[in-house]
Amino acid sequence: MAARVTRRAALGGGAALFLASCGGGDPPPSGGAEPGSGAGLLGSLLALERAVIAAYSASASVLRADSLRLSREIRAQEEEHVRRLERAIRDLGGEPPAGRAAAEYERQFPHLRTQADALRFLEDLEERQLRGYLEALAELPDLELRTMAAEIGADEGEQLAVVRVLAGGPASPHPFETGAL
Amino acid sequence: MSGAPTRRALLGAAAALALAAPAYAQRGRSDVEILEELLALEARLAGVYEAALRRDAIDKGLGELLLEQEREHIRGLEQALRSVGDRAPRAGVAPPGLGPALRSPEAFAGFALELEAQAVAAYTSASAEITRPGLRRPLGSIMACESAHEVALRASAGLPLLAGAARGE
Repeated sequence: MAARVTRRAALGGGAALFLASCGGGDPPPSGGAEPGSGAGLLGSLLALERAVIAAYSASASVLRADSLRLSREIRAQEEEHVRRLERAIRDLGGEPPAGRAAAEYERQFPHLRTQADALRFLEDLEERQLRGYLEALAELPDLELRTMAAEIGADEGEQLAVVRVLAGGPASPHPFETGAL
Repeated sequence: MSGAPTRRALLGAAAALALAAPAYAQRGRSDVEILEELLALEARLAGVYEAALRRDAIDKGLGELLLEQEREHIRGLEQALRSVGDRAPRAGVAPPGLGPALRSPEAFAGFALELEAQAVAAYTSASAEITRPGLRRPLGSIMACESAHEVALRASAGLPLLAGAARGE
């Protein structure tokens, strides 16, 4: 039987391809950060945050009412995360890599025709972003950096739940987000 | 659940819990102590949702979902605790202020939101602090679930879905 690709799977695949390309073209933090300090990992999280901000901006044209208002609030939180990650990289002696132009990100997005398309895309991005912070928790060598990753991860969990509710789904469908004990 | 919680009900519930809130950011705890504290917190959350369901203080579907997920967290933490040590978990005790919070869905929403916020804070500290790297991600995944519980409670109570500024700023 021929496999049928759903629109949701296509959007999810679009998010995966897009995110796979996010880190690849972005240079690691330059400067004097020590190898193993966590600066490289923070640089990857920073690249992802910037890409997600671009995705919220690109989605604004199809989002309406509460979805549009809340997406702007979430984007503002993501911008705070960017500032926090940049500070942390500098504190480690590195220089945060510059982001890309919005148009460059948008060229890689799937075509978002409706609000439902945008919310599915954003849900997938939020889930992948949360996974990134949870993986960083296991890998970052310093307690303060892990605390920062956990705090941002808690924000991402909240944002993911908000996007799910806006999409008409349950806020908390799983007892263990993105993983199991 | 009928209507949004009044500001007074929310503040009253939050004040009762804030007085009893433990300091979750203590450093220097052993991994066993961290897991035991989380287990006691989860037992308290499960007990609170059980009581709310019995008293019709929460929407039945939401209350059952949250209760089942807290029980899953308890099972996971018990499993983790068995893998790192064999101390007996402490008994959960009902948080102060539960009685008045059960008098109305509005009061309970504020009470449960404060308790879930304490859980998020506890898991945020624990997932960074625990020395076994293999436990950090699973604890983080429960932390994210408790964040989602906050959103579920706000949605049910007609409150703004997003709390406000990013954490830690």
